[in-house]
Amino acid sequence: MVRSYKSAQNARSVDESAVMPTPAPISLIPAIEFSIEELTHIYNQSRVDYIVPMPMNAARLSEYIHNYDVALEHSVAAFVDQKVLGLSMLGVRPGRTWITRLGVLPVRRRRGAGAAFMGHHIESSRALQAKRVNLEVIKNNVPAHKLFKRFGFDEVRELLILRRPPGPPKIDVEPYKAEFLDQDGALELLSQRESESSWLDDMPSLKKVGNLIGLRVSADCGGGWLVCQSTTFQLGRLVFQTESGDPACVARLLLHALHSQHGAQDTKTENLPLSDPHLPGLLDMGYIESFRRIEMSLDL
Amino acid sequence: MKTILIMEDDPYHARLMRRLLEREGYSIVHADCGERGLQLALEIEPDLILLDLGLPDLDGQTVAGLLKGSTLLAAIPLVAVTAWPQETASQMAAAYGCEGYISKPISARDFVAEVATYFKPDLAL
Repeated sequence: MVRSYKSAQNARSVDESAVMPTPAPISLIPAIEFSIEELTHIYNQSRVDYIVPMPMNAARLSEYIHNYDVALEHSVAAFVDQKVLGLSMLGVRPGRTWITRLGVLPVRRRRGAGAAFMGHHIESSRALQAKRVNLEVIKNNVPAHKLFKRFGFDEVRELLILRRPPGPPKIDVEPYKAEFLDQDGALELLSQRESESSWLDDMPSLKKVGNLIGLRVSADCGGGWLVCQSTTFQLGRLVFQTESGDPACVARLLLHALHSQHGAQDTKTENLPLSDPHLPGLLDMGYIESFRRIEMSLDL
Repeated sequence: MKTILIMEDDPYHARLMRRLLEREGYSIVHADCGERGLQLALEIEPDLILLDLGLPDLDGQTVAGLLKGSTLLAAIPLVAVTAWPQETASQMAAAYGCEGYISKPISARDFVAEVATYFKPDLAL
């Protein structure tokens, strides 16, 4: 079923409309009506000029949709005159929704697609009885940030995406005890999590991504745990918790143990809050900032 | 003739790089994803690898880590191609063992000369 939205650009003065034709209305088509390959193509095309494009192949997009509870029936592709403008997706969990991967093809921007997406997602979220809508925007993406502010979203916090190349730890740490745990043990740790998660590292996401490992450490400077995903080539989705002592030191110990055991894997961790007290420990252990996101939310 | 492996998922950039480099006499092999790029690197052992850091399957840094972790491929000059700001690009390229980076969008005027700087000089006997 196709729904039409008038572009905001239709509101013109009489003089303007005398010289410029009225823009064609934007049609929003549910993403569920497209194949995964078509969605992948639209998604990648909408981000070709991004500083951090984060392209995906069909397999990765399928995984993304699954892991983050993206509802394709509530996600939409935008068209004008049968030309695709872009794609935007909506994650749905009880009581909340998440706008994700909103993107408009570079040559078709400034035609109101962004506003059409946002209006649709907010309307859908209300219909789904969500209390809150969340999203993250790459820091310094000014047009997107302005769009989200226009629709009433407020900034919540700044999030870091960090990388660490493969290799054993390069710094020494004080003696510690470490215990590795399997997926069940990792989930048990996560059930005790005190820090505020983002959608990507929320419990439902982590349960779905699988391949989780847990790690506990204790030493004179403190004790705590981390949970992460361990796949063939990469460690990811690190969640830290300090139970006693200095979080930066606990992070160093945890990462020393992790990278001693998993030295061959590259590491990527997303959405670590800038205010996270473990951050100095990550930086000491060779983590590099890749880019930042701003988490924003709208209470309905 | 020197062989360059280009790992780049964007067909426009891949075509542009290929055209510019083939014009200068390089032999070009192209992969549009990390997995295929790794296979090709092992098969042909190119003289240089240009690696887009935003690939659709394995991301570029992971590929860089795998290339530099391979005893067979570690010595091949690896150049990251990225739209990141200079400081991030420089830091990331260095951390992952790249010989350097080239900024996107590439400059048609400067690209070939930039690439040439990364070839190891032939040792005369």
